Amino acid sequence: MKNTLLSSSALLVAFATPALAVEKSEVLDTYADIAAAKYEDSLVTAQTLQSAVNALVANPSAEALQAAKDAWLAARVPYQQTEVYRFGNAIVDDWEGKVNAWPLDEGLIDYVDASYGGPSDENEFAALNVVANPTFTLSGNAVDATDITPTLLAETLHEADGIEANVATGYHAIEFLLWGQDLNGHESGAGNRPWTDYAAGDACTNDNCGRRADYLVAATDLLVSDLEWMSAQWVDGGAARTALTANTDAGLAAILTGMGSLSYGEQAGERMRLGLMLNDPEEEHSCFADNTHNDHYFDGLGVQNVYLGEYVRADGTLVSGPSLSDLVSAADASLDAEMQGKLSTTMMSLARIKTAAEAGFAYDQMLERGNASGEALVMGGVNGLIDQTRSIERVVSTLGLDQIAFEGSDSLDDPEAVFQ
Amino acid sequence: MKPIRMAIALLALPGIAAADPMDRVIDDTIDMHILPRFAALNDLTQTLADVAAEDCDPDAVALRSAYGDAFDAWISASHLRFGPTEANDRAFALAFWPDSRGATPRALKSLIAEQDPVVASADAFRQVSIAARGFYAMEFLLFDDTLKQAGDPQYHCNLIQTMSTDIALTSHNIFEEWQSEFAITLREPLPAGVYRSNDEVLQELFKALATGLQFTADTRLGRPLGTFDRPRPTRSEARRSERSARHVMLSLTALRDLSEILARGDTKLMTSLDASFQRALSQLSELDDPTFASVSNPQARFKVEVIQNSIEAIRTIVRDELGPKLGVAAGFNALDGD
Repeated sequence: MKNTLLSSSALLVAFATPALAVEKSEVLDTYADIAAAKYEDSLVTAQTLQSAVNALVANPSAEALQAAKDAWLAARVPYQQTEVYRFGNAIVDDWEGKVNAWPLDEGLIDYVDASYGGPSDENEFAALNVVANPTFTLSGNAVDATDITPTLLAETLHEADGIEANVATGYHAIEFLLWGQDLNGHESGAGNRPWTDYAAGDACTNDNCGRRADYLVAATDLLVSDLEWMSAQWVDGGAARTALTANTDAGLAAILTGMGSLSYGEQAGERMRLGLMLNDPEEEHSCFADNTHNDHYFDGLGVQNVYLGEYVRADGTLVSGPSLSDLVSAADASLDAEMQGKLSTTMMSLARIKTAAEAGFAYDQMLERGNASGEALVMGGVNGLIDQTRSIERVVSTLGLDQIAFEGSDSLDDPEAVFQ
Repeated sequence: MKPIRMAIALLALPGIAAADPMDRVIDDTIDMHILPRFAALNDLTQTLADVAAEDCDPDAVALRSAYGDAFDAWISASHLRFGPTEANDRAFALAFWPDSRGATPRALKSLIAEQDPVVASADAFRQVSIAARGFYAMEFLLFDDTLKQAGDPQYHCNLIQTMSTDIALTSHNIFEEWQSEFAITLREPLPAGVYRSNDEVLQELFKALATGLQFTADTRLGRPLGTFDRPRPTRSEARRSERSARHVMLSLTALRDLSEILARGDTKLMTSLDASFQRALSQLSELDDPTFASVSNPQARFKVEVIQNSIEAIRTIVRDELGPKLGVAAGFNALDGD
């Protein structure tokens, strides 16, 4: 049935193009190889973070806390580049909430400033403070949190009461435990948690240092094991790779769905434009560490390197192969040039945000009401991402994938269903 | 069958855009669906600003009535999120919802507590967070037990007046841009333009329909529904003014109108779309629950779920039958992501 429903432009391409220089299956292989490399890099850098966290807990000091923060920042570089895999691959999307859920009501985890407020209309447990409370009641059930374990975080606390803002695990929970709340508002400066929040005995600040350390260790261990699992899905024979390559057209559509959904609805909309329009520094993706400029940059880079089929690993080696770009170029060289140009424009805009932030103009400041240059910087990124999404739609159409790429969850859950 | 015929026609007649029957569909969508909606929004928001200038008492019948009429006009146009509504964040400035982190009451409380002088002029007010602008913010000032009487009465009055003027100005700018340029942008696609062909224009119109249906099903109904174990009646849209079900009715009515134009020429499809819209609208009117409070009642909530299912059925027809008829797919939208 649906095979006859190809758009007119796709048929034109079919008539005009005798043979493609690149095999679709090779493009999928490159995409899966890059995924395997990115998740492995995410795992390796998370293991480095784990070592640093263990060192901090064993021997708390300002230097040890800083070393853990540095390791967290490094771990974000490969991970953010994986986000382009989310929306096209159900196996990733179903899993990613464990590791990168955001935004969070951090009062669930640990102490917060008085200005944070208490339980809200939306979230009764916004100020639960598990670090301070070994036992509590959650949705009518008594919870024994005397031992803070990965299981407790993952199965009891995460998304407690069915509320997504109850983020108990992943990068941003760890970020909060390392940096603490950013109380600088629209001024520059990240969270400023003292290292003595992990100190032993009388040196301990803000109480419960042992439980806080237990939480940090459990959350980091969980991150490592979650990344181990996802890395395994992308090796030869792994479930993610198998699902992707089961049908070549559905696989190509998955690549483009991931690129378009991340670019437009998620990054341009939810993460960048919304925060700007709300003038709210809490809407920063990494609001505790003030690392949002890098989150945006590496998200954008992930979209670009998936299209070009080239990824530079954490150890500097290059993973590359036949790409979507090659495939588009064979079908319509000018569209490939347009797509590459748009991706480059976006990366330039995101690099401007990143360089301005690193030179001292914090992302918080860019979001402030009436800050015209900050608004221009952020909107530069937003406009680039929206504009590149239109070209991604043209690529979908040119490759004749319209009826697959946009069917949302149906095609994700069951790629075969759309070929009935 | 049909797409193949169209493809051959395109091969045979390259560049003869005037012969495209889709020109008529695009013209009719603009003239009969889009422009009348933004004209009404322009008029009714100006009336709101005028009425607020006369009487800013949150309980004043005239003010509440003008607010309701203007909000109706917005909801009836709210699926048209492209071009002039997207420029300068205008649609966001009229309508920031859902607000899952409570930004609107927070932003309003802060303005009122600080007596922020930004309310002195509509021009300055445009700098304010979108959470404190537009119809959903005004609902708190008119209907929320706490915020309707918060702070200094004169400041509260100025806030309502400036907010109304801001809404009217934004609506005016949308209408003006549609008239002066964007209608032409749609009617005359250009190789280097925003839309390069009628196909890209049709995709935009089709996307407005598909996204509008998705928003009404997933957000307007899905948010209060929550899950069976954890319904969320306080997440209903505009529940303080008891407009939740009304918004579903208004949006379905507007989307039915758009779908009729896009489906023209295919009588069978027009009939099935019309019947499916009618079914959802009838179920909604029988529900008789303005704020979807019944989602908390295990026996009654299924009636809300049934409406949601009916909208899902419309979405399926739109995706599987209308899309292929037009030769387009929905593309990416703002609801992608999480």
